[in-house]
Parts: sequence; structure tokens; C-alpha cells
Amino acid sequence: MSESSVNAARPTPGHPRPYEFPAFRRSVLSNGLSVIVAPMAGRPLVTASLVVRNGAADDPQVDAGATVLAARALSEGTQRYDAVALVEATERLGAGLHADAGWDASTVSVEVPVARFEPALALLAELAEHPAFPPREVDRLREERLNDLLQARAEPRRRVEEAFIRTIYAPSTPYHLPSGGVAETVEQLDAGRLAAAWARGFDPAQMTLIVAGDVDGAGGRDPVEIAESLLAGWTAAPGATAGGSISSESAIDSLQIKLLDRPGSVQTEIRVGHVGVPRRIDDFAGLSVMSAILGGLFNSRLNMKLREEKGYTYGASASFDPRRAAGPFAARVAVNTEVTVPALVDLLAELSRIREAPVTAAELAAARDFLVGVFPLRFETPGPVVGAIGGMVVHRLPDDELATYRSRIEAVGADDVLAIARARIHPEHSAIVMVGDATRIAAELEAAAIGPVEIIRDEVPAEEA
Amino acid sequence: MVIPTVSFTDERLPNGLRLIVAEDHLAPVVAVNIWYAVGSKNEVPGKTGFAHLFEHVMFQGSRNVKKAEHIALVQAAGGTVNGTTWLDRTNYYETLPSNQLELALWLEADRMGTLLDALSQENLDNQRAVVKNEKRSTYDNRPYGTWSEKLQAHLYPEDHPYHHSTIGSMADLDAASLEDVAAFFRTYYAPNNAVLAVVGDVDRAQVRAWAEHYFGGIPANPAIPPVADMSLAPTLGAEIRETVEDQVPLPRIYFGFRAPAMGDRRLDALEVAMQILAGGKGSRLDRRLVRDDQIAQDVVAFVLGFIGGGSIAAGWATVKPGIGLDRVEATYLEELERLTREPVTDDELARAKALIETEELGALSRVEERADRLAMHATLFDDPGLIDTMLARYLAVTADDIRAVSADVFRADNRLVLTYIPASGGGSEESAE
Repeated sequence: MSESSVNAARPTPGHPRPYEFPAFRRSVLSNGLSVIVAPMAGRPLVTASLVVRNGAADDPQVDAGATVLAARALSEGTQRYDAVALVEATERLGAGLHADAGWDASTVSVEVPVARFEPALALLAELAEHPAFPPREVDRLREERLNDLLQARAEPRRRVEEAFIRTIYAPSTPYHLPSGGVAETVEQLDAGRLAAAWARGFDPAQMTLIVAGDVDGAGGRDPVEIAESLLAGWTAAPGATAGGSISSESAIDSLQIKLLDRPGSVQTEIRVGHVGVPRRIDDFAGLSVMSAILGGLFNSRLNMKLREEKGYTYGASASFDPRRAAGPFAARVAVNTEVTVPALVDLLAELSRIREAPVTAAELAAARDFLVGVFPLRFETPGPVVGAIGGMVVHRLPDDELATYRSRIEAVGADDVLAIARARIHPEHSAIVMVGDATRIAAELEAAAIGPVEIIRDEVPAEEA
Repeated sequence: MVIPTVSFTDERLPNGLRLIVAEDHLAPVVAVNIWYAVGSKNEVPGKTGFAHLFEHVMFQGSRNVKKAEHIALVQAAGGTVNGTTWLDRTNYYETLPSNQLELALWLEADRMGTLLDALSQENLDNQRAVVKNEKRSTYDNRPYGTWSEKLQAHLYPEDHPYHHSTIGSMADLDAASLEDVAAFFRTYYAPNNAVLAVVGDVDRAQVRAWAEHYFGGIPANPAIPPVADMSLAPTLGAEIRETVEDQVPLPRIYFGFRAPAMGDRRLDALEVAMQILAGGKGSRLDRRLVRDDQIAQDVVAFVLGFIGGGSIAAGWATVKPGIGLDRVEATYLEELERLTREPVTDDELARAKALIETEELGALSRVEERADRLAMHATLFDDPGLIDTMLARYLAVTADDIRAVSADVFRADNRLVLTYIPASGGGSEESAE
């Protein structure tokens, strides 16, 4: 076989074609409900999303999981349609209609070819305005959620995440428990509580409808006009309240280690971190660059060390989860059991190193260029555009947040990264939470003297549900 | 509704590299997707998992690219990048701002031409360790994690190239050597065994010139070995059953069937049947097992399409606490059986097609998906133009086509029933009725 000849010189990029985040128009319906329309020519599949600023974090603690379950129950029937009729009507339009709740907000979304936008939005409106919460379906969904919690315990990744947030957040905070609740809270959820959770956010003044896609090119009606005809009759539900402040108090003030025993585990799931930051912070751009370098990019420090140098894992990462209040910061990795302690030592060393000296010029450039360059790729289709505008609305960010994002990223310097790492990452006040085979790890972990170790062994089979 | 068709050019460079280019100037992005006609089916006994391990080695550098630099350069250019290995093929892809296309072509050409220049025992050992951790994360340390390996092992005979999974076995991964990497590279990673698809905000003449410039000096391999005989009896011949004890709280029953190969029109009808069976909350299995009878936590049904001999139709139901396994199995199978006897209703068929239509419209709106499909149709069927026929094929499926293929596939003597039950002592729930 003859030799290959290739070109040694790496090509330089061409002139970039300018890109702007889709311009959007704001309107307010006669009842105060906000509408944002982002026309995207050539995108005949339209996404519309009703964003309600009422999320899992707004649940009273005894009702943890109510808002998530309420969102799931919206499509289980309305005053006019039962669940099956609703899904059939949706499918006939070739539409996908989904309701979902996260920590910060609930959303009801539909994706549909533009020609059938109006009837699809009518279904979305029906579901948001007149959910019936039929007791039989609510009972079924509650039971499914309880079963899902059983399944979560068997899945090391889900088990470690739950143990991690329980460790870092004070029991009085909503973030102490999963957004979908735990068995003790889910067990007592019923139709009345779900209806109350949904009604809590049902105030047109607190809702925004976001529409993106080729809405101008189809010759149909203006989406704002359609929204006016379908949503302007809504009035605030009695007891509706605007999303209030959320407590995100930390439960730890020193390093602590928890090892949850999972006998026979061939890997150890490791989480290291602490309470992080809310979304509305001044140094958000710098934080994005710093976490890309530490644990976001493929060539991040954590992944290069633990995967590409040591082969300890399929992937290591670290990220902040900024919410209306301070969401968690976590470094995450799953490693083969026998390297648990050396992997943990390497991970902790990287959390310290990012605070000790400025990142290199190459690291800084790679992270900034990635975040800036990938921006147009993220927004090729209407769904992610609606999602980004939704985030802007939920966090009450200025309307030019997305337009100015790239220039703010480009302005981040190595000194900023260092200052932010020092302010936002606290290895000495971290929780280290692991799920793995304690008999194979515990002695080495204690000998490593990283911090006090608490080992949590499996109780004998849990009692009958 | 009119689905926009994809307009593209399709040609071969003198060294056999097939180049497919589709211009789309809506967004300033470009997708590059290169498919090599080699997958786990080309592995030899004792070397299972090798095609996938090799895919990892492809990111360890080449003559002008350092270890891990491929991904670093693409990400620093504002792009995303990955590779995947499957039974019939391996692919590598980058999506970038359109002014960075040349970088992706240079990177792909450098490793297609000169991978072995950078190959080292250290890098091979490192990626072997990474892949073994991938296997632990994705299969061995997960509840029900072994189901797909077992599905393949049961549905294809031991000497069939689809009998083993792409992840392979730990022992075989341990056995992979530098010589194996070199031989595999020389055999399969040749331009005449590859399809390069470029879709997005580009000029096709410019792409053609760059492809010549970067890939033109890589010689063809005139001796790519033919794939082993893939022929297969259309059915298993007898039901196969296996029960697996695992660290799972709820039992789950997996079903598997041998199905027509990709390209066989009957598989189109089977895809539509799966939509009707389990495509969301309006589907038959969901309605019956989850909503009405409330005996399953979740239900799934899908097709895994392969070109050699036969595909897989499969699904599962997770059994709720306190419900008998027999009842769930019987109810699930009753719904499959019903498809073999009665035609689906006009409304069911219309709803399934409307959903497929929207799904296709969504998928084809992304340059990455278009590049992937063009390369797929060219690699597997020598016809990238199939990209514009798939939706029409799904829309042409009739109730009778569905009944006929269901009768061929959902037979007792073509059935695998694989049941996961909580390990004695390790579970947390009693599941006997």
C-alpha cells in the first residue's frame, strides 16, 4: 500500500458569517399575559411554550413534588376532553404537546407544523386553563412516581445525586429534596393538592407565551392575534401568587465524606461540591468560562486528567446549575472501584488548582471561542430558541441578554476566571458523596485522611410498601 | 404538507472517497459526517468490541494532530464533535460555524491518512481503560444494563456477525494489540470504504476542491474484504426464554423478535406498527398496560434496523409491584397478537403517520441529521437519494401491510422473552401476586 500524503498545515478559519440571535417581538394581551414571537424564516415546525413562573421550588415543603406531578397531570384530562381524547386530538394535528415543571417554572409546550398552529395552541390553552386532575389518573401518576423513586434507588447515578443534594442543602430548603419529591411527600399528593399547585401559578400577569418558527411566512394569522383569541379570557386563579424568594441555605461548613454502600458495584459514582449560585449574578459569563475550563469542555482539566491521562473513567465533568436561588455546584465522575481513592485525590487537586493560579491563555481562548462559536449551533431550530427566551423570562434577565451574551463571554479574562474560581469554588467546604462497594473502598478511603468518612450501609431489605 | 426535499451532489474522488454535499444557507453552520463501512459485524472471534475501541483510538492523534487535540480544535472553533460505532458502520462527525469547515476536513483527512504515525501502546492502554469504564457505566453497573447484549446474543446465532454487542467483552478488550489497530486501520479506514457528507452553509464547488486537497493524497485499499455471510432464517424457529437476577427493584420483561432487514419494505410497515403500539400516550400498549389495566410502570416498543440478514423488533414492560409477571407478559403479547389479526383503524394509522411526518420534518431541519442520513443511505444502500423517499414510504404503509408484517414477526416461534427479576436478598420489593 502506498504512503498517504496529507497536508501538514492546519487551515485557518474563513471569514465568519455574521449571526444574530433571532429578533423577537413583545406584546401583552388584554388580560396582561405576555407574548413573545421570534420569527424564524424557513422553519415550518413551530414551537410554542407557555411559561409559568411557578416551579418545584415554590412547593410548600410538605407538598414536595406537587408541581412536577401537577404538570404531568395536565394532559390527563380537561373539563372538555378525557386524556385519550386529548392525546388523539393532538396526534391528529401531528403535534407534540408536553407539560413539564422544573425548579423555577412550569411549561406547557407544543411543536406543530405552522399550518396547524392555531388548533394546536387551542389544545395547549385548554389544558392550561381547564385541567381536570381526574382522581383516577392522579392516583396512577402518584403510584408511578413512587415506583420511579424505587427505581432511582437502584440506579447508582440517581442515588448519588439524591444523596448529594440532601447532604449539601439544609433540610428547610426546597433543593434538599428532588424536584419530584420523595416517598413521604408524594404519598399524600392528591387531585386537590395538584390543582392547588397549578392554580398557584395561574395568573396571566405571571405567564408568558413564547412562539418561534416560520410564523410570518405561512400567510396565516398573526400568532399574537391567535393568542388574544385563545388566552385573553384567562383571569388569575384565586390564591395565585407570584413566585417568591427561595431559600438555598447550605447544610455544611466543612469537608465531609459520605460513602453509600452498594455491594458488588464495579464502579464508584462520585460527586463533589456544594451550594452554588443563582442565575442572576453579575459574573455569569465569567462563571461559564471558568466551568468550561474546569469541567465543561472535552479538554477540561477534569476530563483530561481523569480520562485522557489516567483512564479512570468514561468522562469527568463539573458544572453549576444556576436557578432562581443558588443551585448546586458539582463535579461528577464514575470510576472503576479499585481506583476510587486516587481518582478522588486527583479530582480534589483540580478543584484546588483552578483557584491557585490563572488559567493559561490557551485554556482561556479555547473556552471563550467554544462558548461564542457554538452559540449559533445551539439555535438552529425553534425549540432551543424558545427555551433560551424562556430562561430569560423566568430569571427576569434583560431583553438583550442573548444578543449580548457573546460579547460578554469575549470580555472574560484570566484574572476574572481566577477571581471567580476563588469566590465560587470551595473544596474545603465540599461534600464528597459516593455510591460504591464499601468493603473494597472504605479502608483506603479512611487511610487517605481526606476528611471524616461516614459509611452508610444498606439496611436489610426495606419493608413492604 | 410538503416536506422539503434535500438537493445534493454525489460523486467519488479518484481514490474512491464518496463525497455528498448539500447546501443550506439558512444558518451559518455546517455539518460534516464521515461514515466508514465497518462496524462490530466486521470483528473476528476473540476481538469483540474492537471496532468501538478503534473509534476511541481515532481521537488519540495522527501525524499532524496531537492526542485529544482533534476534539480540542473543533470545540475551540465553536463546534461539537463525536463518533459512534454500531453493528454495520462507524461514523465521525463535527458540526461547526460554517467558516470552520476546512478545519474539520483537515482533521478527518489527517487521521484517515496517518493515524498510525501517532499510535502508541500508552494511548491504546489509556483508551482501553476508558472503554472498559464506558462498559461499566453503560452496561455492568446499571440496573437491567445487560439487556441489549442478551438480546443480540439470543436473536442471532453464535456464528452470525450480529451475535455480539459493539461494546464487546472485557477479555477481548484486554486482548487488543497495536498490531490489531494497525491491521484494522489499513484494511477498513480507506477512502474507498468511506462516505463524506457535508451539509450546510457552504459552496459545493469549494467543498469539492477542499476534499480533493485534503483527502486526495490518501490511497485506496483495493482489497477490502467482503463481509461474512449474513444470511439468516427469517424466524428463530422456537421461543427462547431467559430469566436474569439483577439488582432491580421492579421486574421488567423484555421481548425480542427477528424482523426484516433494513431496506425491506416490510420494515417500514413494522416501524409504523411500533408507533401505533408504543409511540406515546395514545398508543395501544400504553393505553392498555399503563392506563387501563395499570399493571406496567412503563412500556416500550421499537425497531433496531440492520442490513445483514435481519433486524430486531423489541420492547419491554416494567412490572408494577404486586402484579404477576405472567399477566403482564400475556397482556403485552395479546396486543402484539391483535395486530396480526385485525387491521389497525384508519384513525390510528392517520395519527401515527401525522406524528411520523412531524418527526421527519423536525429531524430534517437540522444539518447534522441531514448529513447523517445522507451518509447512512449512501453507506448502507449506495443511494443517498433515499433520504427523500423515506417519508413517502412511511405514508404509503397500509393497514394490511401492518397486519402482514406483524403476522410474520410477532410469532411465538420467533420470540425471545427475557425477564429481569430482583436478585434474591438484594431487592426491596416482593413482586409475587
